[in-house]
Amino acid sequence: MRYLLLLLLSLNLFAVDASLKIEKDVEHRSRIALEDASSSANKQFFKILLSDLKISGHFLADTKHHRGDLSSNFIAPALKSKEYVLRYALTQASGTKLIVRLLKASDGKEVFKKSYAIPTTSKAPFLAHKAISDINDVLKYPSISWINRYVVFSRYTTAKQSEIILADYTFNYKKVIIRGGLNLFPKWADSSQKSFYYTSYAGMLPTLYRLNIYSGSKQKITSSEGMLVCSDVNKNGSKILLTMAPEGQADIYEMSSSGGSKRRITTFNGIDVNGKYVDNESRIVFVSNRLGYANIFKKSISGSGVSQVVYHGRNNNAVDAHGSKIVYSSRESQNSFGNNTFNLYLTTSTGSGTRPLTARGTNQFPRFSTDGSVVQYIKHSGNGSSIGYTNLNSKQSLLFPLGARKIQSIDW
Amino acid sequence: MMKKMIITAATLSLFLLTGCGQTAPDLNGSSNNISDANALTGDTVSINENTYGSESGGRNSSSDGFQSVYFAFGDYGISSGMENTISQNVNVAGNAGGKRIKIEGNCDEFGTDEYNYALGLKRAKSVRDSMTSQGINTSNMVMVSFGESNPTCTNSTDSCYGKNRRVDLRLIK
Repeated sequence: MRYLLLLLLSLNLFAVDASLKIEKDVEHRSRIALEDASSSANKQFFKILLSDLKISGHFLADTKHHRGDLSSNFIAPALKSKEYVLRYALTQASGTKLIVRLLKASDGKEVFKKSYAIPTTSKAPFLAHKAISDINDVLKYPSISWINRYVVFSRYTTAKQSEIILADYTFNYKKVIIRGGLNLFPKWADSSQKSFYYTSYAGMLPTLYRLNIYSGSKQKITSSEGMLVCSDVNKNGSKILLTMAPEGQADIYEMSSSGGSKRRITTFNGIDVNGKYVDNESRIVFVSNRLGYANIFKKSISGSGVSQVVYHGRNNNAVDAHGSKIVYSSRESQNSFGNNTFNLYLTTSTGSGTRPLTARGTNQFPRFSTDGSVVQYIKHSGNGSSIGYTNLNSKQSLLFPLGARKIQSIDW
Repeated sequence: MMKKMIITAATLSLFLLTGCGQTAPDLNGSSNNISDANALTGDTVSINENTYGSESGGRNSSSDGFQSVYFAFGDYGISSGMENTISQNVNVAGNAGGKRIKIEGNCDEFGTDEYNYALGLKRAKSVRDSMTSQGINTSNMVMVSFGESNPTCTNSTDSCYGKNRRVDLRLIK
């Protein structure tokens, strides 16, 4: 009897330990292999699928480009150690079609199947993003729908000339939306990415427009002597933060997105730029040289007090915010000319919990994803320029090469 | 008592042991066998603003008799070495027959977007304020910052960086 009791107690201990293991496993990443069942293997498309799986933070993807039979449920013995096999077939003839099947590696049982079709071939990267985003949702991981979004950026072409371009987050897809003239600082106007704001230098004064990227309709919002930048848009798109200089002095203003009267938020007679909403849009963080060098400050939109947010670094000249999270770029070398080291730091609107996100190179233009889980940035190093992404939860990072031309501004 | 303990322990063991299991989310019952085609949203426009006549043009230095004013790295104050240049520009402005003057602030390639444009504007403002103090009407001058978009040279040399940290002046035609 005593031994039976002892046995039952031991079983209890084992069961409790197994429960703890299950809690940990809920956060684990699914091991997955990709099998290309396309009639001709597409290495570039495979790499895009791999990037999506990696940056999600939810998958451990086999980096080998396996080949497979789309209709079969057979799983090769070498892949039985995975949890899932994603079998897909891409067809690009008068448009693009993608069929995906997600199979359990243990028994080949199909758990998800979907097909996607678009009339063009250039947008194929978006099919990859949509498929991985859908699979992520089916497996009930936190959403990664941000990978489906457009990135909009401007880059200089020659002196006083630029172009504004749409891209997918990997920059495999790119399309010039505005060419000719000097058009800068594109900023998405709405969460559905139908329109963006940008600054045009076509006239005497810098002028802010909102462009619908589907209809081409362009609405003038305001103009300003000196400079004019839309640095942030509130959540419902009804208000915008502007850096403008109606009297030749650059300050941060808030304005209704339909134009009209504006409210001046900063009044310092030096440089105040790059305003971003924080703390439920009751405050802004911004870059100012009021201490003699560029640094990050915070101010209530309706109040007058300004407080310093960052207490390290002597040149913190770019900032972005999401909720109460803040990411900024800090110069960490003292070269007057030539390349300097700029690293990105994550902190909060109270300046607490600061940690570095990068360790080397020139890292600038930090931008949060719409859900605040990923930071996008531009990295310059000896090997050229790249666009980078860091998943704040999984700490995974990805870099994609950029062309030679310098990016002026970016939003996603 | 012992019998009760055993039964309790056995029951508890049964519950806890059946709680062990899958390491991945349970997909049973999800109807995921979808094979519909899914199209992405419509096509986006492509606009050529060269047709809209650009005021900005391609001129990246001063013109109409004006001389560019140069600045130290990160600085927007008028140095003593530039005061003579400002005076000469004041003379040119005074002889312009009331035409308006465009004052364009520029930067070298270092620093990031908005901050650089604001720095360029501070430089333009310094030039404007200096000319105002020497008698040129403020309302006769318009300022614009071009940030780092308008370099006169693109070499990676100190000399070239210095040439780009400048304010250009020209008459508005």
